[in-house]
Amino acid sequence: MFTTPNLLTMLWASSLDSLYMVSISIAVTILLGIPLGVVLVVTRPGHIMETVWLNKILGFVVNFTRSIPFLIFMVFIGPITKKMVGTSIGPTAVIVPLSLAAAMLMSRMAETSLLEVPTGLIEAAQAYGASKRQIIWHVLLPEARSGLILSATTLIITLIGFSAMAGAIGGGGLGDLAIRYGYQRYMPDVMWVCVLLLYVVVQAIQYTGEFLAKKFSRR
Amino acid sequence: MALIEIKGLTKDYGRGDREVRALRGVDLSVEAGEIFGVIGLSGAGKSTLIRCLNRLETPGSGTVTVDGRLLTGLNEAELRLARQEMGMIFQHFNLLSSRTVTGNVAFPMEIAGRGSGEIKPRVAELLDLVGLRDKAQVYPAQLSGGQKQRVGIARALANSPKILLCDEATSALDPQTTQSILALIQDIKERLGLTVVLITHEMRVITEICDRVAVMEDGLIVESGPVIEVFTRPRHPTTRAFVESVISREDSSRKWGYQPRGTLARILFIGPAAGEPVISRLVRLFKVEANILQGDIGHLQGQPFGVILIDLVGEPAARRQALDYLESLNLPVELLEGAA
Ligand SMILES: Nc1ncnc2c1ncn2[C@@H]1O[C@H](COP(=O)(O)OP(=O)(O)OP(=O)(O)O)[C@@H](O)[C@H]1O
Ligand SMILES: [Mg+2]
Repeated sequence: MFTTPNLLTMLWASSLDSLYMVSISIAVTILLGIPLGVVLVVTRPGHIMETVWLNKILGFVVNFTRSIPFLIFMVFIGPITKKMVGTSIGPTAVIVPLSLAAAMLMSRMAETSLLEVPTGLIEAAQAYGASKRQIIWHVLLPEARSGLILSATTLIITLIGFSAMAGAIGGGGLGDLAIRYGYQRYMPDVMWVCVLLLYVVVQAIQYTGEFLAKKFSRR
Repeated sequence: MALIEIKGLTKDYGRGDREVRALRGVDLSVEAGEIFGVIGLSGAGKSTLIRCLNRLETPGSGTVTVDGRLLTGLNEAELRLARQEMGMIFQHFNLLSSRTVTGNVAFPMEIAGRGSGEIKPRVAELLDLVGLRDKAQVYPAQLSGGQKQRVGIARALANSPKILLCDEATSALDPQTTQSILALIQDIKERLGLTVVLITHEMRVITEICDRVAVMEDGLIVESGPVIEVFTRPRHPTTRAFVESVISREDSSRKWGYQPRGTLARILFIGPAAGEPVISRLVRLFKVEANILQGDIGHLQGQPFGVILIDLVGEPAARRQALDYLESLNLPVELLEGAA
């Protein structure tokens, strides 16, 4: 299929670019999204660290960010991206909007999972003298573990999709390759290989996520 | 001073139109080493009261003193330490589903910052105590309700508290399991010298293990005292209703069309005399016959206790003598019809 070594090299490079974008974005998304989800939950009225104004502001920021289409968001925060990583094109530049958008989504999904933890468990922990920090680490997060893993799985897959889209405006990676060669230069082979690669990766992640969620579910 | 002293405790929920006065000035004292029961109908304020004991609920006004320490005056760090000295069990067990039985029992000790060298043997000891050694590595989802509550009890005892608070601990269990959990609570109370405060809406729970009881209604304690006393001489209508839930005071002889021939009397059997053959003596000593229409004899805290309804037949003078005899034995008699 690929007689030109050039194309194979490009495919390999694009895959690495994708991997780079996606893996860093995943890390940032999880490290930002889950804590944000925790804050969204514990600052709710009646919860362990009730702070209504903070909850309202964060809720607004998250909803606002999520309501902007990703492509527009990427352009919109371009200047910030440039300040943060020194460039507004290429894989590194994509990581900023990608992680931010995904972290907002992650925070809402984490919030949903964390809210499913029965209040009785929090009360029991309080009755045994647990501090707020202990309640978060020993009760909320472990009890929501299964839901959080499933959310993260969905999110990683969404991230891969987003990163492919980001390719369209100079982000690099497999999505970029598929568009430039597969679509613009009429090389359907390239497009199919890109799609196949993405498909395999997505399936593997979905399977792993479900497996882990099941393993940790004790309800 | 009593181990737990509550004075003028109030608690309101909500504001304005939606204000609920859950506690309206509760005074209560619980002595060290007793099992103190609080009974009341749904919404009476029982949970609110017990939750004020470890300040899961912040009281509106009034004071709670536990072991000489004013709980209502503690800051957050002090409160957490004070809570570690009290165990609590719950109606719905509230076990962590992500931890095994061992993990759940270890939880309060981890919270208190104990090392694993200390935790491990203690967990084994506690699981032995509640009879769940073979379930150590099992997750709560695989346990029955009774077993879950046993884990709850082991967990509550982990930090060797002086006080055990039970919020409807048996309300989600069937009668047989309830019995075994109550027996366990009684047993550990004796062995560990605990003081137990339990709330319930079931009179059976009170008669089974409590030493003293308080009856709650509408945010107030309407009656309290030693269980035997409250049980045999209930004054408040609510208390009476609870007593009747265990021993029926209803006169069912009417229902099958019995026509009294003499004096219809309800005798309460309580105290030492309850173990004596009182009725046969009555018949032998006085010229009366006793037709037993209805009876229910059980026990209350290891003492015989019961109610029987008799139709006392004979000359008025003999009937009066017979009734006086019962009074002299300290058995409360209630005349229903044909007063002698
Ligand atoms: N968090 C809350 N917010 C508002 N009202 C509450 C709250 N908790 C309790 N109440 C109200 O306070 C009153 C007393 O409630 P509490 O739970 O103490 O009753 P209870 O005696 O434990 O009843 P039950 O047997 O149903 O558990 C009720 O009218 C209840 O509706
Ligand atoms: Mg209650």
